[in-house]
Amino acid sequence: METNAIEIHNLTKKFGDFTAVDDISFDVRKGEIFGFLGANGAGKTTAMRILCGLSRPTSGSGTVAGSDIWKEQEKIKKHIGYMSQRFSLYPDLTVRENIRLFGGIYGLRDREIREKTATMLEILGMEDAADKFCSDLPLGWKQKLSFCIAQIHSPQIIFLDEPTGGVDPETRRRFWELIYAQAENGTTIFVTTHYMDEAEYCDRVSIMVDGKIAALDAPSSLKDRFGAASMDEVFRTVAGRAEREDQ
Amino acid sequence: MKAFFASVRKEFLHIFRDKRTILIVMIMPVVQIVLFGFAVSTEVNRARVAVCGEISDLQVRRITDRIDKNRYLEITEILSTPEEIEGLFRRNEADAAVCFERNFSSGLTGSGGASVRIIGDGSDPNTARMITSYISGVIQDAGQDASISLSGEKAASMTPSVQLMYNPAMKSSYNFVPGVMGLILMLICSMMTAVSIVKEKETGTLELLLVSPVRPLWVILSKLMPYLLLSAGNFASILLLSHYVMEVPINGSLALLSLVALIFVVTSLAMGILVSVISSSQRTAMLICGMGLTMPTMIFSGIIFPCESMPLVLQWFSDIIPAKWFIIMAKKIMIQGAGFASIIKELTILTGMAVFLLAVSIRSFKTRL
Amino acid sequence: MWKYLLEKEFKQFFRDPGLPKMALAFPVLMMLVFPFAVSMDIRNINLAVVDNCMSTGSARFMEKCTSSGYFRLVDLCHDPDEAMALMDANKVDAVITIMPDFDRQIGTGKGFPAGIKVNTVNGTKGSLGAQYILQCVRLYLSENGTGMQAAAAGIDISEKYYFNPTMDYKLFMIPALIVIAITMITAFLPSLNIVSEKEAGTIEQINVTPVSKTAFIVCKMIPYWVIAFFILTACLIIAWAVFGYVCRGNILWLYLFTVLDIIVMAGLGLLISNYSNNAQQAMFVIWFFAMVFMLMSGIFTPIASMPDWAQAITYVNPMRYYADAMRAIFLKGSTPVDLWYDAAGLAVLGTIAVTAAISSYRKSE
Repeated sequence: METNAIEIHNLTKKFGDFTAVDDISFDVRKGEIFGFLGANGAGKTTAMRILCGLSRPTSGSGTVAGSDIWKEQEKIKKHIGYMSQRFSLYPDLTVRENIRLFGGIYGLRDREIREKTATMLEILGMEDAADKFCSDLPLGWKQKLSFCIAQIHSPQIIFLDEPTGGVDPETRRRFWELIYAQAENGTTIFVTTHYMDEAEYCDRVSIMVDGKIAALDAPSSLKDRFGAASMDEVFRTVAGRAEREDQ
Repeated sequence: MKAFFASVRKEFLHIFRDKRTILIVMIMPVVQIVLFGFAVSTEVNRARVAVCGEISDLQVRRITDRIDKNRYLEITEILSTPEEIEGLFRRNEADAAVCFERNFSSGLTGSGGASVRIIGDGSDPNTARMITSYISGVIQDAGQDASISLSGEKAASMTPSVQLMYNPAMKSSYNFVPGVMGLILMLICSMMTAVSIVKEKETGTLELLLVSPVRPLWVILSKLMPYLLLSAGNFASILLLSHYVMEVPINGSLALLSLVALIFVVTSLAMGILVSVISSSQRTAMLICGMGLTMPTMIFSGIIFPCESMPLVLQWFSDIIPAKWFIIMAKKIMIQGAGFASIIKELTILTGMAVFLLAVSIRSFKTRL
Repeated sequence: MWKYLLEKEFKQFFRDPGLPKMALAFPVLMMLVFPFAVSMDIRNINLAVVDNCMSTGSARFMEKCTSSGYFRLVDLCHDPDEAMALMDANKVDAVITIMPDFDRQIGTGKGFPAGIKVNTVNGTKGSLGAQYILQCVRLYLSENGTGMQAAAAGIDISEKYYFNPTMDYKLFMIPALIVIAITMITAFLPSLNIVSEKEAGTIEQINVTPVSKTAFIVCKMIPYWVIAFFILTACLIIAWAVFGYVCRGNILWLYLFTVLDIIVMAGLGLLISNYSNNAQQAMFVIWFFAMVFMLMSGIFTPIASMPDWAQAITYVNPMRYYADAMRAIFLKGSTPVDLWYDAAGLAVLGTIAVTAAISSYRKSE
């Protein structure tokens, strides 16, 4: 049994002349919370989409949850959960129906789905909203619901693409409690964010600049290395060297 | 006024940046007019005729040959019994059949007269009627010749000459091209406007514009400008094609035709705005235009089905279809070469519709958004 | 997995505020109103006569024309220019000018002493009008001509029409309207559905799941198949209850061909949505194809009238096969054996469209 949930070697993705991801290599250990930082346009979403099997790399190799990113995209999908920056549950289905749909898609049985739904609603404190349309939920609830649905099939890895955009700090903190709870069960969490306070919650972070990984270590080691008081300062030092403009 | 031009500029940028959509919008009408201009036609063309009778009979053979030589007809099958005809029709292997009675020649030369029956496939009534009338014309001529050769007298043909007015070559395109032109202009214009306004509604950018100091009237007008230009381009390309490729004449004044087209385009754009006001999503807007406007325009504007043969109630209904009036005028100007005086009634009606629709759409645009 | 996806599609369809209503109201309205409008039954051709003879012979000839049922005598003009003016104003479709010595010339048999002008801007109407007038002329001659001319019409020609003896144009159009309704619904709706999922981003959430492409696409199509069957049934009931037409062939075959058609149309719709950047593009392209299919299907004008190159194009038009089959089954009682050609055409197009749609739908870029 290997100890890494994700192993990536020399991954490159080009769109025409533009190199979005430029020869990156890194590993993510099982059960860790891995922060994937970078300015907008640094290439983090592109890299993440490759890991999720939504996009094919131009070159490079790697495995996600033990499956090859070239040949076994569909196999990867069975073992990962994904939550994107855009809320992408069906707005015209109710909370319960969305849970049921994705449970069914991942091959859960009706009975399992019913049990999961009950526990999930309890954890989220959304019992009263179970039959509301998703479009009517406040943003913070939607995000928590998306997260729970992303782990409905107990995946080995959960990918979170800027999961907490646009909500207040209190909601964000509670969202991170959910993430911690999940990580304690041994699930690997791969999260992109641009909130530097969130970076502090991660076991390790990588900082992408211009399609390359400029730094990768535990937050405390990074702060030591750059002699900085906070991750925010670290990020500004590292990302300040960017040549690519924000998009 | 400065704000107005600024927003017009924005609209142009917006539209012309989406190259693929522009391409689609410019090319679609061209392809359609070429396809439909040539393909939509009702001329009978090599109709397949089956013959049932004694082919050894001299007169039968003579008439059969004549049918086969006719440019509209073609003998495809010789049957031995009339029972086979139904099967042929059912398999769509023949369009009409001719049954000669037994001893046809002797009947013709004798006193009893000869009889022949033409059987048409009534499932397509008009085509069937045209084909049978062609066949019966051929047989009649043949009969006349036969009797002349019998009596030995030479006589002038008693068939009067028919003068075909306006469209001597009987080209279907004369009838259909103005119609298709109206249909395409109408739908492209209304669809483009409706969908793009609803899109802005969905993304919320429309609200942004409406809270700006630009007045709603100008917002609408600035949205219409690029489409007006696009439609003018479409009109020009359609007209060029129909004149030079389909060879439909423009006997009347080009300026008058352009004026009529401009008013028609404005009517269609106003219709587009109305649709955008009542629909909540791009999908609904598209369905309303794509199905709700296409079908009635196609059916009721007289493109394919003459309005005169509709029941009275539906004729009234057809009067509210703007395309009908445009098509009537386009035909009059292009083919009959009519001048301003003879289209004044239709022009007034269309202008009235344009003003009415524009007023209603601007009003409802202001109140509903 | 299928069960859940299907459940989702049905729920979403029925929850849409306008869609179910539109999908059902459109065909029903079409069936109720359009048959009355799509009459190309050419009767009541407006006729003006310039009678320069005013004899009993000319009067009898005019009577022959008006009693044929095809013409409506609008005006008796005194001078040909007046009649031409009427034609210019689209008030009359045909003008007959009877020469001054009508009776005498009929007697001598030196050509028919009348001039005929027909407005042929509308080709069908013009040529049918001309044919009708010629028929009246022959009829008149056979009754009133001198011996030799009567003999000229010595062949007794009778006409008969199979399948539709009363030449009812509605009967011809009803199966075609069903074809249009079903094709429009099944071409537009599923592809709009995919494009809007694309725009909303929900399709991405599905793409990271192990759902197979085929399952996803087939589940998207199934609700529209159900709707199509519903529409077909409703239309057949309307045809029977309102217009009194029953299908002459086996109704089962109508359903069979409908299945084939919707597979092709849905496949095409999805194919287009896969290649479109946004909803607007997808819709324009679909509308474009819908128009081309409709006008080049032989529904409104016969395929045989098209030039050869246009006829060649119709071989890839699914509506051509579908409309042809539906009409033949409904009007003539044909069976799939008679129509193997249509069935094969649809099957081939369907296979191509669906295969292309599934293989071009990428879960990853």
